[in-house]
Amino acid sequence: MRHWFRSYLLLLRWSAIRLRYLLPLVLIIQIFLSVGIVIGFAFLLPQVDPATARYLSTGAPTLGLITIGMVMAPQLVATAKTEGTFAYNQTLPVPRTAVLGADVTVWLVVGAPGLILGLLVAALRFDFTLRVGWAAAPAMLLVALTATTIGFAIAYAATPPVTNLVTQLIVFIALMFSPINFPADRLPGWLQAIHRVLPFEYMADAVRDTLTSPPHGIAARPFLVLAAWCAAGLAVTLRVMTRRD
Amino acid sequence: MLHIDNLTKVYRRGVRANDGITLEAAAGEVLGLLGHNGAGKTTLLGQVVGLVRPTGGRITLLGRDPVAEPAWARSVCSFQPQAQAPLTGVTTRQAIEIVGRIRGGGHRAVRRRTAELLTALDIEEWADRPGERLSGGVRRLTAFCMAIVEPGGLVMLDEPTNDVDPVRRRLLWEQVRSLAADGRAVVLVTHNIAEAERAIDRVVVLAGGRVAASGTPATLAAGREMSLELTLPADPPLPAWALRTGRKGDRLTVTVAGEDAHRAVAWAQSLTARFSLNPVSLEDVYLALSDDPEVDRDAALVP
Repeated sequence: MRHWFRSYLLLLRWSAIRLRYLLPLVLIIQIFLSVGIVIGFAFLLPQVDPATARYLSTGAPTLGLITIGMVMAPQLVATAKTEGTFAYNQTLPVPRTAVLGADVTVWLVVGAPGLILGLLVAALRFDFTLRVGWAAAPAMLLVALTATTIGFAIAYAATPPVTNLVTQLIVFIALMFSPINFPADRLPGWLQAIHRVLPFEYMADAVRDTLTSPPHGIAARPFLVLAAWCAAGLAVTLRVMTRRD
Repeated sequence: MLHIDNLTKVYRRGVRANDGITLEAAAGEVLGLLGHNGAGKTTLLGQVVGLVRPTGGRITLLGRDPVAEPAWARSVCSFQPQAQAPLTGVTTRQAIEIVGRIRGGGHRAVRRRTAELLTALDIEEWADRPGERLSGGVRRLTAFCMAIVEPGGLVMLDEPTNDVDPVRRRLLWEQVRSLAADGRAVVLVTHNIAEAERAIDRVVVLAGGRVAASGTPATLAAGREMSLELTLPADPPLPAWALRTGRKGDRLTVTVAGEDAHRAVAWAQSLTARFSLNPVSLEDVYLALSDDPEVDRDAALVP
């Protein structure tokens, strides 16, 4: 256990040094994304009622987490695979779970400032008071963790060019065709059915419920589904990381 | 230290990368692994360090089985892979120090050892420059330092001198020798045979996934041909024992069998005072082995 923790901390330090120049860039992208959704999407709608404001202002941080975990993280892993970082790390005397743990931690930390800024922008724009429940932090952690582990699973299982294509696809699906910024009942039945399996809707639900504390309480189902996706992502990633030719 | 017995690796697509390889590396010894691209050298190292699973055969490292315990194998074996180490955004010094710590070194000891290595390889100038702004040679030397900053009992280096300039290659060979002097076993893959000859204690030549020859550079060359070099402007009539000739300017090279050495000297003396008779180099042996289609069955050389 001590060896694991020592390896984890050292790998974390290595990743932090390597990725520090990326942090400002990630922050800028997240701010643009949040501002784009909160302000830009509002242009599409003639009138923003409180329900729409609720969707947009909680959808923005959800999309921020999805972008970090399922787009930027896998793209960086794809680059790392191309550069040989992945292969090199495999030769180091560290537990593979420590490598994964350090990588996931980096992306959770990278996503945090943008998330908070996004919420601030939303609150200012809509003059909207969030009723943040105690479960908000764990919920966002779970969403970020799930997005990142799925992102890693894609990047580790697929070749770098395929990863880049799939992550582009995820952006479009999440932004345009997922009930994140709008209620699910606006989608055609077949698309609703697909979203009952995909994690996007549950991510949005978990974030929205815990940030606005609705009267009907917080549903458990999104958390369970996300935990399952998270476990699947971890399993695939670890399988690829520990595979021997 | 390291025993490999009848090791075979067949990849899923049917490529037989290692075909019954048997070799060993002892503590305090530098073992050179030579062979063409695709001879199976990198696959061999990958199996020792737990990255590739053998199809058959047995590996024993310090009395244990690295195939069953890959995590343990990585902790006692320091490996410099052939691919460049990931250095983007990290300086030479940071990369060496962090890997030293990851390999279990104490903070101060690693810092001191890093500084020593940077000096020994004469790369202090670039110590605090991030990886993306380093030349290929300095990157390779950094990767070399990362492998040996906190070395395990077995050190495996896959083409450590690629892109490195001649002066620093020499410094690198000195470090390889001092690893062996410290009682570690070093397995070295290289194409830089002429230089490595000085650093290597024993050689294993791989061809087509098999051991084509093994022994010390001297035993490999023994009983083989010798090279007679004469400074002669015109070609003399050649004696029957001359195997091959070649000419560069006024220098004539005649290859002779080992047992004809005394005749060759007498013949050369009758022609000119400017001649030399040399045993062939490891590189010549290697090239001769590689040219020979029967190389796989050259059993006389395999002990």
